[in-house]
Amino acid sequence: MSVQTEGTDTAGEPAVHKARLPAPPAGGDGGSAPSARRGAAAPYLLLLPALLATLILLGWPLVKNGMLSFQNLNPRQLIQHLTEWNGGDNYREVLTGSDFWHVVERSVVFTAVNVVLIMLLGTLIGLLLARLGKRMRLLLMLGLVLAWAMPVIAATTVYQWLFAQRFGVVNWVLDRLGWHSMADYNWFGSQLSTFSVITLLIVWQSIPFVAINLYAATTTIPRELYEAASLDGAGAWKSFTSVTLPFLRPFLYATTFLEVIWVFKAFPQIFAINEGGPDHLTETLPIYAFVEGVGNQHFGVGAAISFLTVLVLLVITSYYLRMVLKQEEDEL
Amino acid sequence: MKRKLAAAIVIAGMMVSVSACGGDDDKDTGKNAGPDSFKGQTLTVWTMDGSAPPQWSKDVRAAFEKKTGAKLKFETQKWDGIQQKITTALSESNPPDVLEVGNTQTPAYAATGGLAELGDLKQEIGSDWTPSVSQSSVFDGKQYAAPWYFANRVVIYNKKIWAKAGIKDTPKTRDEFFEDLDAIDRKTDAEPLYLPGQNWYFFDGLTIGQGADLVKKQGDKYVSNLGDPKVSAAMELYKKYAAYSKAPKDKDEATPQQATIFAKGRTGAFIGMGWEAGTAIQANKSIEKDLGYFTIPGESADKPEGVFLGGSNLAVAQGSKKQALAKEFLKIALSDQYEGRLAKLNGVIPNKESLESNLEGNGAAEAAAPGAAAGGTTPLIPEWAAVENTPNPIKSYMTAVLNGKSPAAAAKQVEGEINKRLAQQN
Amino acid sequence: MKRSVFGRVWPNATAGVLFAGFVFPVYWMFATAFKPTGDIIAESPVWFPADVTAGHFAKAVDADHFWTLVLNSVTVTVSAVLLSLVIALFAAFALARMRFRGRRGFIVTFMLAQMAPWEVMVIAIYMLVRDNDLLDSLVPLTVFYAIMVLPLTILTLRGYVAAVPKELEESAMVDGCTRTQAFVRVIFPLLAPGLMATSLFGFITAWNEFPLVLILNKDIEKQTLPLWLSQFQTAFGDDWGATMAASSLFALPILVLFIFLQRKAVSGLTDGAVKG
Repeated sequence: MSVQTEGTDTAGEPAVHKARLPAPPAGGDGGSAPSARRGAAAPYLLLLPALLATLILLGWPLVKNGMLSFQNLNPRQLIQHLTEWNGGDNYREVLTGSDFWHVVERSVVFTAVNVVLIMLLGTLIGLLLARLGKRMRLLLMLGLVLAWAMPVIAATTVYQWLFAQRFGVVNWVLDRLGWHSMADYNWFGSQLSTFSVITLLIVWQSIPFVAINLYAATTTIPRELYEAASLDGAGAWKSFTSVTLPFLRPFLYATTFLEVIWVFKAFPQIFAINEGGPDHLTETLPIYAFVEGVGNQHFGVGAAISFLTVLVLLVITSYYLRMVLKQEEDEL
Repeated sequence: MKRKLAAAIVIAGMMVSVSACGGDDDKDTGKNAGPDSFKGQTLTVWTMDGSAPPQWSKDVRAAFEKKTGAKLKFETQKWDGIQQKITTALSESNPPDVLEVGNTQTPAYAATGGLAELGDLKQEIGSDWTPSVSQSSVFDGKQYAAPWYFANRVVIYNKKIWAKAGIKDTPKTRDEFFEDLDAIDRKTDAEPLYLPGQNWYFFDGLTIGQGADLVKKQGDKYVSNLGDPKVSAAMELYKKYAAYSKAPKDKDEATPQQATIFAKGRTGAFIGMGWEAGTAIQANKSIEKDLGYFTIPGESADKPEGVFLGGSNLAVAQGSKKQALAKEFLKIALSDQYEGRLAKLNGVIPNKESLESNLEGNGAAEAAAPGAAAGGTTPLIPEWAAVENTPNPIKSYMTAVLNGKSPAAAAKQVEGEINKRLAQQN
Repeated sequence: MKRSVFGRVWPNATAGVLFAGFVFPVYWMFATAFKPTGDIIAESPVWFPADVTAGHFAKAVDADHFWTLVLNSVTVTVSAVLLSLVIALFAAFALARMRFRGRRGFIVTFMLAQMAPWEVMVIAIYMLVRDNDLLDSLVPLTVFYAIMVLPLTILTLRGYVAAVPKELEESAMVDGCTRTQAFVRVIFPLLAPGLMATSLFGFITAWNEFPLVLILNKDIEKQTLPLWLSQFQTAFGDDWGATMAASSLFALPILVLFIFLQRKAVSGLTDGAVKG
């Protein structure tokens, strides 16, 4: 079989086994000068759809959002299609209010706590997966996958039910364990308890991604590295720190980066559980932007907050982004 | 205004249908029916979940299509997220032509310019609209909506539990009411009253009963008046009521629907709208025979408790291209025939006094009527709507007081937020 | 390596406990959905439903236009995932296999795109869609969902493409394939698990999306299941049997999809999502 018969070829088989005949004479795709120029343009052409899509569908709303953030936009302006520029008033209002900085602080702490828990527990469970026998590993994987796959809206409803004040199974268990004051406890009545439930929900849903991927990464560590380490007399801990950890480092960085973004942007989890309540006390930046913008129909202010939200996220992730820039440079 | 009502069941469903009366005026109006230009058009009307009984919608549609030759489409809207929906819809090139707007929200929407002015309609059919209920539709001296129906809260109680507690008659004064609740507490294992911490419209009624104002004018701006001793007195009353309930302090009456709790038959009473009895019956058929209603009693027997007079108006979208047709619809829907019918079917207060006879024999409506006389609303200023946006700071205030804060301290805690919202530009 | 009894037991014991912990919320959802109301609000929980009822499911399905919403959700989700996969595949190939000026700039661009705060841009998106007369349509939903998942899809696929040994492609080209042919015949088949793994993320994102469809599509014929689920919760908040039945119905397709695709996909994930 040759490449000329590609039309009837089965795509499933690796082509290397089939291509035996010599190459056909260079046709339109051959190595002539125009084609070389085409070769140089190829990566850009391949990237074009993705870039255009991103530019139009993300860039345009972002620009629009940026413009709205400099407008006085309330129901009256929205309904009558009025454009009322108000300079930096929205930003001034947000940045001089005391709320915003509290929310930033809360968002950062919330993100940090969640990401640390996710990465720590996720890594431990990933390493545990590597140590388990096949059957037990499959079982635990199944549990992880189920938690991972639960759609967020369904998951928040289930957590509300688990932590329901009356007939909630968590309160019942705590009561049975001797913690009788919890029998009728209202989890959504205070900041700390609401955040606890939200954190548990997010950590529960996020660990599987880290654990399963980390496990998959450990399977690619070449055996020889461990053998070499043990020849050097390294114990379990030493071979972990000298072999496993360095090998997993890029993975851990990348996953942490993704988790930071995901947790920071977590919206349905927080909003559906208690709408940022009680008393706005569990509002993180995205929730704050939504409540002020859409909820209060103060759209211009909402746009300003969402812009600031992106800035804060950029600051938080800048360390990693810089690292990627440098690392990619090295690769090339 | 009813919020988040899941499904209003018509309590008066078994009542005699009045559709037979329709006959004769149809003939007159048939002749000078709308111009042919209406033919082929479709008028879209948004009503809120539970507002328009199916039978009523069907008959109004038939009458409308007969008279104008145009089609009529009712679209039922959920309360959840309705503000965003109405605001965005009014900005679109094809808005709903007619829409139901809660009376506390009407001034705010009128101020946005999204609602058409209806002065001529008011002149034509609205001369006898009850002034107190028409008031919420007036903004800057102009009529921006037509009053549709009104309702206020009553006490809905479980006769069986009250009898078990040895109570003979329904209470006529607030003190008697408290005594009865005490009796239920002592003599039965039922929860005397179901009152969650954030039934804010009941609290609003109490402030009206105390003669308190929630806002006051400072210069040319409105600011919170929550710290006023009269408001505090109303809140103390609320707290006293809430002490009879095991309901969550940080939830309102719709989460969960209080009627469904009541329907389980382990609650002495709750404070709600007449239609909520229907919700209870839907949840548990056997509760129907034990249901009773009475007016929320006030300080003395001759003066019932203040109530929040909730209600809905019908407005025409400014952006609608079918203004004339929309007005034809309003003329039919608000005619004595169909307005009276709605009052009868839903047990709600109609927009003119002459139609109130339709409420006779309806227990809930009869219990509501004395209260309505002492009814009031939230401040009728465009700025007010923002205060009620989720999360409503007054609800936070209520929860704080019920959790032990003094009313004055709790007021101080939320007044900043209320003032911020009142000061929002439009 | 010799391990003590303890050393052999504890990983399994821990795994058992963890399994229970991760599965319990999912189990409890299904269990509650099948339990009669009396068992749901029992003074002590009924751990294993003895009486089973389908009543809650009947109530959940009994919504206006339920099947229209199902169809819309499936259409939008599948189209969005396919669209993003196709676009991402081109981009991923360029980023993984070619050297050109501005390459890392592109990578960082997609990383930045990954941070887009979609939920709080709904008003801006609404105004754009409104002004282009595209409200009440599935098309804007599809393309916006596709773009929401595009950045991560590109970054993940890039890893998969990179993981396909370059020699395979080169030898195919030596054997006379053009670069396009080499891609179609060599790389693509090897990428299948990667495509599956990547599509999972797209499925779950698009299936869940809520704020955008809420504001864009007021016509119930053009809405999707998350709206149904959230309205159902509001209306029947206290009826845990019915809300759990609705949640179960909503979650089931994704759970099944994950169990099927995930096992095939997991092996490839390592090099995928991983390599920044």
